[in-house]
Amino acid sequence: MKKAITLTVNGDIHELYVETHHSLLDVIRNELGLVGTHRGCDTGNCGACTLHLDGLAMNACLLLAVDYDGSEILTIEGITQNGALHPLQQALVEKGGIQCGFCTPGVVMNTLALLADNPHPSKTEIRARLSGNLCRCTGYVKIVEAIMSVSH
Amino acid sequence: MFPFNYRTPTSLPEALDLLARENASAHVIAGGTDMVLNMRNGLKAPKTVINLKRLPELKGIAYEEGRGLRIGALTTLREVHRSPLIQMHYPALSHAASRMASEQIRAFATVGGNLCNGSPSADTAPPLIAFDAIVHLVSLAGTRTLPLKDFFTGPGTTALQPGELLQEITVPPPNGKTIFIKHIPRAYMDISVVCVAVRLLMVNGVCQEARIVLGAVAPTPLQARAAEASLSGKRLDADLIEEAAQTAAKESHPIDDAKGSAWYRKQMVGVIVRRALTTFFENV
Amino acid sequence: MSSLIGQRIPKLDAPDKATGRATYGHDVRLPGLLHGKILYSAHPHARIVRVDTSRAERLPGVKCVLTAADNAPTRFGYGKDQTPFKSMARSLRDEIAGVVAVDADTAYEALALIQVEYEPLPAIFSIEEALTPDAPLVHSEHGSNLFQTYHYSHGELLRGEAESDVILEASYRLPYVTHACMETSVVVAQFEHGGRLTLWSTTQIPFLLQRDLSEALGIPGSQIRIIQTSIGGAFGRGLDIYPYEPIAALMAIKAGKPVRLAFTRREEFNAGPARQPAEVSLRAGVRRDGRLTFRDVAAVLDIGAYVSWGSVTPLVMMETTASLYKIPHVRFKADCVYTNNLVTGAMRGYGNPQSTFFVETMMDQLAEAVGMDPVEFRLLNANEPNTTTPQGLVITSCGMKECLQAVAAAADRAAKRQGDEAIPEPVTHYQTPIFNAQSSNSNTLKRGIGFATTLNVGGGARIYRSDGCGASVKVDDFGHVTLVTGSTEIGQGSETVLAQIVAEALGVCPEDISVINTDTDVKPWDVGVHASRTTFIAGNAAHLAALDARAQIFETAAEMLGVSPDQLIARNGRIELATPHSPPATIPSLPLSKVVRQRHFREGGTVVIGEGWYDPPTKLVDKATYKGNISAAYGFGAQMAEVEVDTETGQVRVLRLACANDVGRAINPMAVEGQIEGGAQMGLGYALTEELIVENGRVLNPDFHHYRLFTAADMPEIETIIVETDDPGGPFGAKGVGEMGGTPTAAAVANAIYDAIGIRMTELPMTPERVLAAILKKEQVHDRPTL
Repeated sequence: MKKAITLTVNGDIHELYVETHHSLLDVIRNELGLVGTHRGCDTGNCGACTLHLDGLAMNACLLLAVDYDGSEILTIEGITQNGALHPLQQALVEKGGIQCGFCTPGVVMNTLALLADNPHPSKTEIRARLSGNLCRCTGYVKIVEAIMSVSH
Repeated sequence: MFPFNYRTPTSLPEALDLLARENASAHVIAGGTDMVLNMRNGLKAPKTVINLKRLPELKGIAYEEGRGLRIGALTTLREVHRSPLIQMHYPALSHAASRMASEQIRAFATVGGNLCNGSPSADTAPPLIAFDAIVHLVSLAGTRTLPLKDFFTGPGTTALQPGELLQEITVPPPNGKTIFIKHIPRAYMDISVVCVAVRLLMVNGVCQEARIVLGAVAPTPLQARAAEASLSGKRLDADLIEEAAQTAAKESHPIDDAKGSAWYRKQMVGVIVRRALTTFFENV
Repeated sequence: MSSLIGQRIPKLDAPDKATGRATYGHDVRLPGLLHGKILYSAHPHARIVRVDTSRAERLPGVKCVLTAADNAPTRFGYGKDQTPFKSMARSLRDEIAGVVAVDADTAYEALALIQVEYEPLPAIFSIEEALTPDAPLVHSEHGSNLFQTYHYSHGELLRGEAESDVILEASYRLPYVTHACMETSVVVAQFEHGGRLTLWSTTQIPFLLQRDLSEALGIPGSQIRIIQTSIGGAFGRGLDIYPYEPIAALMAIKAGKPVRLAFTRREEFNAGPARQPAEVSLRAGVRRDGRLTFRDVAAVLDIGAYVSWGSVTPLVMMETTASLYKIPHVRFKADCVYTNNLVTGAMRGYGNPQSTFFVETMMDQLAEAVGMDPVEFRLLNANEPNTTTPQGLVITSCGMKECLQAVAAAADRAAKRQGDEAIPEPVTHYQTPIFNAQSSNSNTLKRGIGFATTLNVGGGARIYRSDGCGASVKVDDFGHVTLVTGSTEIGQGSETVLAQIVAEALGVCPEDISVINTDTDVKPWDVGVHASRTTFIAGNAAHLAALDARAQIFETAAEMLGVSPDQLIARNGRIELATPHSPPATIPSLPLSKVVRQRHFREGGTVVIGEGWYDPPTKLVDKATYKGNISAAYGFGAQMAEVEVDTETGQVRVLRLACANDVGRAINPMAVEGQIEGGAQMGLGYALTEELIVENGRVLNPDFHHYRLFTAADMPEIETIIVETDDPGGPFGAKGVGEMGGTPTAAAVANAIYDAIGIRMTELPMTPERVLAAILKKEQVHDRPTL
């Protein structure tokens, strides 16, 4: 069963006709082709699908797309301005916070939301916030270092 | 997940009307963190899903001296955690919300959903029960209220009748202090192995009123009444604390599951209730 | 320009990954791409009597349905016991049928319409059951559930026992754990004109997979092209062919269109290759003066319903048992047993985390038994450079003692810290902070420190007849360099390290280098990415190719400058006369680009392409004795864990982890640290939280709610220490490091728990329940009241 919805994604307005049971992640990836938002678990645990919905970081895998008709969405593809990396992305690159990179877009999106809540989080706050983003490669050490380097 | 009809009512009367007409074939959705998973795993397959997120009647947090707190069922865990009013007057509830899942989940999981899902390990239930919270259930027939402690009827079941919605939760003004402890293997992201909320009203070192509420150790959130009674009217000391903790452990009846064994959970009830009470003892 | 070796160069692929532009297998888009889904067995052991696919086939949107009737007649896999679809189910992860449809929803819906008639058979779920004389056979054609036995020995055990002043024994239980790559397994298969198969894959072994697929599908290997996408974690998961890969190919053949087969996370937990659980008994002896005398290990591994490389992990368990520390008398036995449980395979460390756990916890016990400090005891028995172990491992560079001393110093620093500084702040409030008071559990917290070391192959591992890798280096007339390497980037940073090696040899910047490493039609042959081999093996190959290209360039530059080639050096993108004492402006030199152009434009010209092939000077182990030098270099490491044990809850919090690793030379210290820190995350999970709970062949926790990875909030403070020993065989002195980060962690944590509460944990993971049960048992023994 399908339903018409309107989403503003990275500033562009999309009028979509989506299956009621499809998640926002399904729609972002399959309908809009924005595959930088990753599907790691589909159960809200790994955080690879984190995007911003009306300004807050959320797991797109657990959001029904039809529930968010009219919403403003920001994905990893909307972070880079004029081809230049955001300072957080640059820090993750330079500090070694990226290995396989599958968790990285989710980490970027959750961290940007953290910095909106609190521009100068402590290391402890960063680690608490990142508990919603699983990473199997880095042990989180260099991710936390990179975030510290842009927030202090 | 299978296809379904989808409705978004924009007022409470419209929602209740829909719910009454669709009856058993419909299921409501708020944050959806449990509902979407349940549908994806095939545990729920409603014909119609009714989105509650556009109902203004189910929103908001308000506090009034003398009357207490009102939380709309759609209030997210993030809002519960970060509300200055809740942090000031009901810090144990804010704390419980802060320990649940991740910030990305707390941004859309709702307190109403946490309660209506009927999980024995719902973390907002023990502190709210300890505060003597009341749930306001609304249907076409009108509104009825129920103490939250009577809302849970079994794992995954509640007192909600067909056609009925949880509109809001009200909490009396704070009476004493409350501690919440969530015991899990990791810092975050785990469902409670055991969680405990303890509220004590102490006057001159004597316990006037006690609430000890246990999560994840019975088919529903459990008020440890015998343990509460053992404290009432008494002066806290190490022996009394130990007795109350052991009584609470005896009152719990957990099961073995992937989160923990029954023996361990029972043992933890004793330890954690003792720790909460000891904190009161050492600081009052 | 200073040397590029030792520089913290950011990963070349990181900007694409930071911006979401990298293409993973789930992101591959092809015209007409269809979606496949697999129906798994409903019984752990059953004959498939009948499969009725007619209803599924009639569902609109379904393109085709496949069953065992679509299999090629051949079997495949390490034990040649696998088929794509099964007519006999031997585990709950066995593939019975598959659906191809226009979208994943339709394929999923169709699965429910397939009717399978099973004839259930008795099944076995434990090692004990499997080895009883009249046990049902998992593979009747094999004649026994015992797939393979390994026997190794050196010295004389009886003499070792006689020389011992103390003999201790213990037994251990090791759990199922899994890679938990953030990206689930995925493959896209497409047949082109002429029947050539292209497979977009997350494999770690593209060239072996060509051969394996050829066997599984009955088509020539030359007709199979593997393209590796960005890979969202590997850790050994992609070290073998698994049925979903030929299944995707069969689907693409039958549907006549490209097909994507992507695992859900639940499928990943259920059907992925787990690390095999094991039961181990260990006896070991020591002399009063602290010298080790003997080690005697007997292990039984549950390899599940099919054999994969997991059944070879005893080779590595054997290596740790026989060669970690100087030990004169060793016996090792391992049985690999079929059951109707999960399928097991290779996972980072490959037997080493398991064996290091039991060997290194026993080392602590032996030290205590002879009254020695655990670090002194280890230093006394440590491996040393330029020695050959009785097993035949030729140890060239060896920084084991330096690693131990480095983590011991970290422990001293930890002990000297005072007050609030002493404990890292917990990332969460245990209880509601309403009284401005400490939690009331501070007097039940006991702290301890533990050590463990590790030995791991660091110069390849010859488990096939070749341990080789090929490379080519092309220099174009802009001075841009293209390295084509057989090796595979799985996130570890290999392409960046290889670019540094080539850039160093050619005197250019890493930005001047492109690395091509994803396509079997383009890249030269390589065994695959495993055994911490890529920096050493692919690094040497790339270095040789770069030197070959440089020789070609020097030849031409020498003619142009009128000097001899051996007088030239390459630096700053120029070819210069080596005259160290002249002012730079006066040195005769040519831009690299100009030299290459000269080769292109002259009569009888030629391109600049250097070739490299490196196969280390090692041997396959002897088939009877398992002796021989399997690797051209060995890496060493030591870890120190500081823990806090809550004696009332059994909860263990790791406060600090110091990790020192001898990596020969760190070509890219940032990448080395990344390997160690990531390894530590896996090691900590193995120690404390990770376990696939399997009952009657079924995984009870196939999700990240209940399969608990360490999160950022759970990680201790990690101090990473790089020890450099300059290995004679490694590229610029480097050795491998990919697996060592997590190998000693469980042992270090277990030893720290002992230091804290006096209890030896012998079962992993050391969950709060297990630790508390051990505490309560000890208290009962001492007749103390329980809590």
